[in-house]
Amino acid sequence: MKSNMPLSKPIRRLIGETEGLLDTEITLLRDPEAAAGGTLIDVYTYNTDKNIIIFPASYIGLLKDVIIAKHCVQLLVKGAASKKSAYRVCSFTEDSVYHGMRQIYLDTLKDEAKKERKLPVGKLLDMLFILYTRFHEDISELPWNPIVNARIYYQMPQIRKTQLYMLLKEGKEDMDEMMEYEEIIPRRYFVLDKSMFYARDCFLAKTLPSDELMPVVNIPQMKKFNHLEVKEMLTTRWTHTAWYQSKYFGDNVLTIMEKHLNADWGARSSLDYYKSLYDIGVALTNSLLEYMTMKDWFVWESPGHLLEAMKKMDNYEHSALKKIFGDLVAD
Amino acid sequence: MTAREVTELLKRGFALVQRTKYREAIVLFERALRLDPKNVEGWSLRAAVLIDMERYNEALASSDRALALDQNFADAWSKRGLALYNMSRFNEALEACTRALALNANDVTTWYVKGICLDELGRENEAQEAYAKSLELEIILDMDAERRRSRK
Repeated sequence: MKSNMPLSKPIRRLIGETEGLLDTEITLLRDPEAAAGGTLIDVYTYNTDKNIIIFPASYIGLLKDVIIAKHCVQLLVKGAASKKSAYRVCSFTEDSVYHGMRQIYLDTLKDEAKKERKLPVGKLLDMLFILYTRFHEDISELPWNPIVNARIYYQMPQIRKTQLYMLLKEGKEDMDEMMEYEEIIPRRYFVLDKSMFYARDCFLAKTLPSDELMPVVNIPQMKKFNHLEVKEMLTTRWTHTAWYQSKYFGDNVLTIMEKHLNADWGARSSLDYYKSLYDIGVALTNSLLEYMTMKDWFVWESPGHLLEAMKKMDNYEHSALKKIFGDLVAD
Repeated sequence: MTAREVTELLKRGFALVQRTKYREAIVLFERALRLDPKNVEGWSLRAAVLIDMERYNEALASSDRALALDQNFADAWSKRGLALYNMSRFNEALEACTRALALNANDVTTWYVKGICLDELGRENEAQEAYAKSLELEIILDMDAERRRSRK
């Protein structure tokens, strides 16, 4: 491990275990511009020879520990799959982009027919790919979130309180995201997006023992937080909104999650164990895609395939728009 | 030499530390300290950047210089604790952290380092209390930062 920052024993142990199991090294980097949830740049996904965990410079104590822990577990899952030559990611092709954007377009037409104020054509065209890539991001990240959080919760009880604070914070951000687009994007996609995060919160509320769910009782700011208890915040806050549809679909998504996410979260660490977590993540992703009728939107491919696909995104978008709209779209 | 000149050097040095330009920062701190060898903050800042550069013995010496000038400078005790922790001298580090926190109980890092030292010394319950205090303060800072961001 490359770092000179103070690290608690459980985190040092986890980093050491990760490096040992994967026969690799991890560098920790503090960055003022880092995303709130940190970033993992790893040798299995990117063309790099170093594993780097980047976290916000403002996180100096236990908050950074949770971020490091989450990315270590992600690295273990990726690394274990990679070592068994089985590591694939959700990627896309010219064809799959077309399928996705076409479906979004058809759903948009249905929604637009009911609206008085129509979306300007230019914005509609832009929205198709933006929504497609939004779902690509979500489906690439969300299925792994409950796996990583459940594993950390059971493997590292010392940082539970910190983990729960971060879950509340992230959950609130996820809940607030896309709100400004609620009236613009097709209802179906707004509901499906919220459903996935609702189900994630509900799954974690059920899986993480309730007696731990009052993380930091002495902080006045936490007590005033939405005037709700922590456990309620993870679940009922979703129902105290107009998103009843999200709850309905969310309950179905939760059923899917519960069906797949039944690992022994406290099991002894080994490459086989983390490979089994990877397999669970893949199965969950596939089930979610099937439920959302998005099976032909993405393809399981190597990380290299995805890196190449990202470079061709503009081309794929243009190609899909040409197929859907023909000569209405300029070359 | 003016006090303003020294303050300016320390300020510029601190800005360089934030950009991880430690070598350049040290040069400025040492210039400031040549101008004003009794500047407690200067010795403490020098200790901090030496810790970042993994020069722990020198960091210890620097924080001790600060403490020789002012026994009640909390940050110097904090840097002393951090240097000693990095040298695996956990008992002494713990003592330094305790002194720092008696002077300034709102230091997230020092509570955290205290927790690590207690953990290393097998005093797990006390370690959890120190971590809890560190977390409490860190969450308050985080929520304040969120509030400021949402106002922008």
